[in-house]
Amino acid sequence: MKRAMTRARMTVIAALAMAGCAPSPYQRAGNGDDVAAAVSRSRPPETGARSLAFLVLGGAAGPRLAAYDLKASRVLWTQPADVTVRVASGASVLVHGSKAVPPASPNGQIVGRDLGSGAVLWQHPIASSEELFGYALDGDQVYVVERVATGDGKRAGRLTALDGRTGARRWEQALPSARVAAPAARGGLVAVPAESQYVLLYDGATGAPVGQVLSTEEAATFVRALPEGLFYGSRGVFLMGRDTARGSRRSPGYLTAHLPAFVRPTYDYDFYRPEQTEYSAIDRNRVLWRVTLDGGRPQFRDGLAFVHDYRFFFAFDAASGVLRWAYASPTDAVASADTGKVILFATVAGELAALDPLTGARVYEASLPGEVVRGASFDAEGFTPSAAVAQAAHPPEVTATLTGIIADPDQRFPALKLFAVEELGRQSGRSVTTKLLELLTDPKTAPLAQQKAGEMLVGRRDAGALDLYRSALRAHADYCEKRSPPPVEVLARAIGALGPIGRSVTPDLEAHLALPETPPAAAAEIARALVQTGATDSPGALRDFLSMYRSDPVYDRDPAALIAASEALLRLGGTEDRELLLFVAEEPHTVAGLRTHLTRALNETAPAQHQRP
Amino acid sequence: MRAPRIHRGGLALAQVCVCVCAVAGASPAWAARAGQKGKTSDKSADKAAAPEAAGLPAAEIDSLRQALIGADDEAATEAAAKLGAAGTPRAAEPLLEVLAEGGRAVRVQAVLDAFAKLGEARALRADQAVIDALTLYAGHRSPDIRRRAVKALASLPEPHVTATLLERLGDAAPDVRAAAADSLAARHETKAVPRLFALLSRGDAGVGAALAALATPDLVPRIAELAGTIDDEIVANTLGEYVKRSDVPEKLRIDVLRTIGRLSGAVATTALAEYLASVPAKEDRASKKEAQKLLDQRGGGTQ
Repeated sequence: MKRAMTRARMTVIAALAMAGCAPSPYQRAGNGDDVAAAVSRSRPPETGARSLAFLVLGGAAGPRLAAYDLKASRVLWTQPADVTVRVASGASVLVHGSKAVPPASPNGQIVGRDLGSGAVLWQHPIASSEELFGYALDGDQVYVVERVATGDGKRAGRLTALDGRTGARRWEQALPSARVAAPAARGGLVAVPAESQYVLLYDGATGAPVGQVLSTEEAATFVRALPEGLFYGSRGVFLMGRDTARGSRRSPGYLTAHLPAFVRPTYDYDFYRPEQTEYSAIDRNRVLWRVTLDGGRPQFRDGLAFVHDYRFFFAFDAASGVLRWAYASPTDAVASADTGKVILFATVAGELAALDPLTGARVYEASLPGEVVRGASFDAEGFTPSAAVAQAAHPPEVTATLTGIIADPDQRFPALKLFAVEELGRQSGRSVTTKLLELLTDPKTAPLAQQKAGEMLVGRRDAGALDLYRSALRAHADYCEKRSPPPVEVLARAIGALGPIGRSVTPDLEAHLALPETPPAAAAEIARALVQTGATDSPGALRDFLSMYRSDPVYDRDPAALIAASEALLRLGGTEDRELLLFVAEEPHTVAGLRTHLTRALNETAPAQHQRP
Repeated sequence: MRAPRIHRGGLALAQVCVCVCAVAGASPAWAARAGQKGKTSDKSADKAAAPEAAGLPAAEIDSLRQALIGADDEAATEAAAKLGAAGTPRAAEPLLEVLAEGGRAVRVQAVLDAFAKLGEARALRADQAVIDALTLYAGHRSPDIRRRAVKALASLPEPHVTATLLERLGDAAPDVRAAAADSLAARHETKAVPRLFALLSRGDAGVGAALAALATPDLVPRIAELAGTIDDEIVANTLGEYVKRSDVPEKLRIDVLRTIGRLSGAVATTALAEYLASVPAKEDRASKKEAQKLLDQRGGGTQ
């Protein structure tokens, strides 16, 4: 009775809003009772045993749509189709957008097909006065959100229910705003985002309004129907229910994962942007997630959030952001889905694969040789790979994958490469230090990646790598042997960071003070490292450096290296070195910055403190 | 390469500083150090320079030292030149002081040139301090200073400067590599051949003459095979220098001339012409006729 009254109230409000006399069509927005009641009526969909992939094919054979049975590893059907808007599947039908020949339907059309054969059941043209924002299926009912031109020159949002088998209009509901987005539908409930902060809920059978969600802290740019519930959000995920009817990040039903900087942290595409409903780069760069409910509170399934970044897949601990596994595909994955049991993806080269969410092991693979896949959608909630294959699959080796990402000549992923370098640096083992050193010397490594590799090398404080540092330092630049100079600046910082442990390699380090290719910045780091390691045997090299360059005009503008060398000499040297520094400070040809610094430094340090013979 | 220490223990430099600051009557700090620690391997240098040394009084050397360490760069440069021309090992002492205390490039360059002159006049003791200083400056960041330091080092007959010369073959600056190459060729240092060949393979024109001077017959086909992979003119120039060597067998010389004849460019023509010019007019060699024939075929005959 109460539910019926609530629905009636909502209907009246909507009607008044349409009549232009209601104060606001969103007066009940955020009402927890309304939303809880609506959601409780939403029955979880039958998960069934579907294991379907819908593949949008291109290539020489022309544009086609194919249905592929993952379990049977075979193509069920292929139909000519120029698919634009993503495929959505229902109980016995599927729907997609396609181009149509103007002037009949200049904005394209929605096409309904038989799920078993792919045969066209109906076509729903989008008129020139209409703009399609998206559709959703629930069973064999299709819900379409459009923005339409009204007679008075204005525009309005419209939600329409179509019969999935015939395309016949079941009902139509005017939306209270023209700022609308693509819908989601689950178990008799239709959700439509509006005005960026509302999610309007409608009865799927009648179109009657049944509730309104108000997102107070972040935009609601998507709605998503999953077996575990109805969700909305943008930079986080809200499980729709009483406590998120007025959604804030403090709501128990709110989830967000800790993800690295390279990830575009949106949990679905922007449903307000019709162009994002089409197969595009959006499908190749996204966060994959599923949840489990613990006492009604959502948690990321297994505590993991997944990132699909073109050719790469990553699993992160949602709470800590720690990388769990990384997988690299040889070619771009054009689409992906987290079914809960596996991470499914299709590549542009016609490969279909599944990864174990817990380990990243490749537990399924199939291919369509010779095909070019432009996009894909999955209806594979029931798909489970063969146990034998799954058991035999080996998880990808994280270090090798990260190394492959860094070395990849593909220039599209600078931020990802930086992440890979950073993650590589976090891995343990001598081989990682070796790899970081290789990155530092490889001319193909991007400058930013080299910088990051240097930071990671220094931060590792790998005392077991001193022999590696020594070898690297001894590989002096040689034009004859086509050898570039070693990354002395970084090596100096890495050795300096080790403190006295690093002293055994300081002879090899100080040798670079006397090499022509050592840049001033590296010389400064060498001097600092000699101090950090307590290299009391090194004043000779410092003296040579200081004498040779003290009046070099190169250091006029930036005497940092000379200052660092003089500071090191002051700390590591003895009385005679102080005398040298005094001479350098007083000699008029010495660069001004060094003279000034030394005059002050010598004044500040009492000669009595320098007792070293 | 470990950095040499000009200022071992810092004591020597402290003394140098005293010299610089106290100006007149400064104690011969470097001479004292060199006398105590240095090893003179070229005893003949003293003997060869002795007559000239007698012609440069100590007072004059002191005067030049003052100019060398004074404020006037031009005067210092002139003083360095005079000391370089003095032909006495004692001239090295004030020059070394400049390298020890460091100075502006123009002064350091003049001092390095002076060392080279002393060395060429066999008037430079192969004192360890001198070698250390020159080796250090052979690693200076300025290519011009490195090149001059290499030439100065090369003027020393000491075998252990060869390591530095070989190392400088890997220098990033072509002029420094060329200086090192020429020096090694002048020293008949066959250890340099693999690195010289590697440089030639990279198209380094500056090492061709040096490689030609040191190459053994078995290397000649490998040089010829570089044609097409590097500039033909570099190959022609190298082979042209090679055929002019007096120790090349006539048959091989003819083969090399024919190889040159097949190369394109003016340098190949010049190489053939230069070979002809290098053979005494009265000498009748088959290779001479071959060179003439090849020149005629190229349309550049001299008869």
